[in-house]
Amino acid sequence: MALDIQRFIQRFIEEALDHLGRMAEGIAALERDRANTERINELFRSAHTMKGSSRMLKLTPITATAHSLEELLSALREGQQSAGPEIIGLLYQGMDALSDLVGLLADGSAPEALPAANPALCQALEAAASGQDNPCASSTPLPADVSTATLSPTAEPSPTATPAAEEPGEMRLNDSVRVRLERLDEVIRLMGEVLSGHTHMHHLAGWARRFAGNTQAPDQSELAAFSRELREGVLTQEALMVELHDRALQMRMLPLNIVFDPLSRLARDMARSLGKQVDCRVRGSEIELDRQMIDHLSDPLVHLLRNALDHGIEPPEVRLAAGKPARGQLTLEAWQDGGWVMIEVSDDGAGIALAALREKALHKQLLSREQLDALSERETQELIFRPGFSTSALITDFSGRGVGMDVVKRSVVDTLSGDLQLTSRPGQGTCFTLRLPLSLAMMRVLLFQAGGLTLGVTAQYVVELVELPASRFIATAGGWALTLYNEFIPVIALAELLGLPSTAVATSDAPSEARDPGRLLLVVHQGHEKLALIIDALVEEGDRVIKPLPKHLRSLPLISGMVTHQRNDLVSLLHVPALLERMRQTSMPSTQKAPSTRAHRVLVVDDSLNTREIEKDVLEAWGYHVTLAENGEDGLQKALAESFDAILTDVEMPRMDGFALTARLREEHAYRHCPIIIITSREKETDRRRGLDVGADAYIVKGSFDQNILVDTLKALLG
Amino acid sequence: MRILVVDDDLLAGEMIAAILQEDGHEILLASDAMDAMTQVDHHEDIAVIVSDMHMPLIDGIELYRTLQEQGIHLPFILLTGNAPEFIDAEKIGLTACLMKDADMDVTLRDAISSILNH
Repeated sequence: MALDIQRFIQRFIEEALDHLGRMAEGIAALERDRANTERINELFRSAHTMKGSSRMLKLTPITATAHSLEELLSALREGQQSAGPEIIGLLYQGMDALSDLVGLLADGSAPEALPAANPALCQALEAAASGQDNPCASSTPLPADVSTATLSPTAEPSPTATPAAEEPGEMRLNDSVRVRLERLDEVIRLMGEVLSGHTHMHHLAGWARRFAGNTQAPDQSELAAFSRELREGVLTQEALMVELHDRALQMRMLPLNIVFDPLSRLARDMARSLGKQVDCRVRGSEIELDRQMIDHLSDPLVHLLRNALDHGIEPPEVRLAAGKPARGQLTLEAWQDGGWVMIEVSDDGAGIALAALREKALHKQLLSREQLDALSERETQELIFRPGFSTSALITDFSGRGVGMDVVKRSVVDTLSGDLQLTSRPGQGTCFTLRLPLSLAMMRVLLFQAGGLTLGVTAQYVVELVELPASRFIATAGGWALTLYNEFIPVIALAELLGLPSTAVATSDAPSEARDPGRLLLVVHQGHEKLALIIDALVEEGDRVIKPLPKHLRSLPLISGMVTHQRNDLVSLLHVPALLERMRQTSMPSTQKAPSTRAHRVLVVDDSLNTREIEKDVLEAWGYHVTLAENGEDGLQKALAESFDAILTDVEMPRMDGFALTARLREEHAYRHCPIIIITSREKETDRRRGLDVGADAYIVKGSFDQNILVDTLKALLG
Repeated sequence: MRILVVDDDLLAGEMIAAILQEDGHEILLASDAMDAMTQVDHHEDIAVIVSDMHMPLIDGIELYRTLQEQGIHLPFILLTGNAPEFIDAEKIGLTACLMKDADMDVTLRDAISSILNH
């Protein structure tokens, strides 16, 4: 066509992306409600429109694909077909094929250079439209994605040869934000109101000047009126400022589809080069996040997708052999949960093989066999987040390259102030869940004093602020600890941890103090890990705009940003994950202690990680050899597998509680006379009696916990 | 000459307009049949209507018939995306029925110039 084709192609790309976005929503809606005729009509129109305009631009592969898709949608519209799972799958594949083609075009591929439409896919779509059974339904894997790469390298340009597929795994966002006009208008309207409020302030200032100029004492009633108006003016102005601030921050919010859309294409490209068949589903891409978060989100998500494609989803043959459909499902889903955004990357692949993880950890000498045995299923799975851990037997193009899951975790935790969790079922798949704050720019901040400085932490890390006498602290091998909410939590003076001059009494001489003033403790956490920090005083709590550190200070791990306090003070925000890391390092040497030659073996059963760890520290400091178990059942298995000289157990635990465990162990010959100590928060006499009835040798209440009691009891029982 | 282009796909409409504008025609765009009827009522100098076949609610043929019923006998060029439904233009009195494709710059120009030559 003798027109400015390039200009129209650009327009076509924009509109096609728009249509494809709506198609994704439409197909997802159809998946939930197959009789949704309105959705079918919308989908039909999108396919039809793309067909029409692509034909005018001579984008033949797009026209052909859109045509086949339109045929199937037309059959659905006429009721000749119903949107069962197979049809939905075909619709997605048709849409994906269109997205790939439009994507190539968007990446600058010339219209003539587009690969031909996938004939197998078009045939499958049209066959389904004419009511034939899907010729490649279950037995033969659908040739859709792979066929272009493997079946016809001579007949048509292979997608791997096209420019966009050269670098699967690369993604870039440009550095501008598109703001919806109505949002901008809203800010401008608010600005107008702020300005008119300001005029009112001027009026009040003039009024005040008249008071000042007046030598006589001001009239009381006028003064009262003035004060009322001033107060109201300030309050109105404040409300406006808050709203203005919110709206301004909202302008930085972007929908997740900016990251999600390119990702699903990337996933298909990657799947193709790995010879796997994958349907990538995206849900919740309309959820909005702060621009700054969006920028940092794509790298971790790319890695998670790679991981799923590389380790999760099996090759088609393996899937078919396992009784699964040949095409794997990869889901990228987001939803909002209060002030948080949750993002889930899940696959229906092989899941994480725990045995392989253990082997790998042993092989890489990350952990000893004993340490591994002490890990719960979840803790074992989380090994993949350890630096230097990669389960891939072969170094493949994607997951094995350079960065590992540890980097993903670190970037989610450090850069995005979020959290990354993992669940996996062997044979059924793996799911990574990211929990992210909506925005990094504005957060709730707690300001306090420690070591003569005012410091802050962001609220998501704060568990509680409590005041406790130092006599509640317990000495452990690594330092001090206390019991709170039924858990042992390590305690340290923040000033000491940061190496600041200590202003309060140091922890080292805390418990022996005769006069025992309460210590102010800031309990922080990250995931399951908790830490109690001794601070001097609370300053205040409030929502603050967090300012990033200047470039030359960004490498400081302990500080995550700055906030302003009062007029011009700058307060550093402490980065809690880094504090926890430092705490781990300072308490590390305790684990180096060699067990004594004839070490008693003790099994510690408790569902709280902190409690287990601290009891372990205490006992190891006294030369005991400790094995950990995380619930009664786990404890029982371990007790049956090896022999122990004593058992320490909590009462309330999932699966099997401490009473049941004790009773069960007493049935075993090997444990009939073995010391069993119950450590619990249950203070009631009836519980104590029950504990002794089931056969425990001692019953220690956590609230009154003193390491001496524990150690003395053990010593007495072990003789 | 003033030409009314009716297409629910704005992009397609603009492309058609671009072809015709190159030849110096003045173009009005309508996004559906209702819009087209309104435009015809408001602009008496419309000389030709170029309309897409497939549009929601009222399609191109319906639009043509409605105009005929109202006594508006303007030259009418119907554009269609699908080959099988190619319509015998002369039989129902259409000026032309064209395939909506990359050759439109030639076929549409021919159709318009044949109208001018009449």
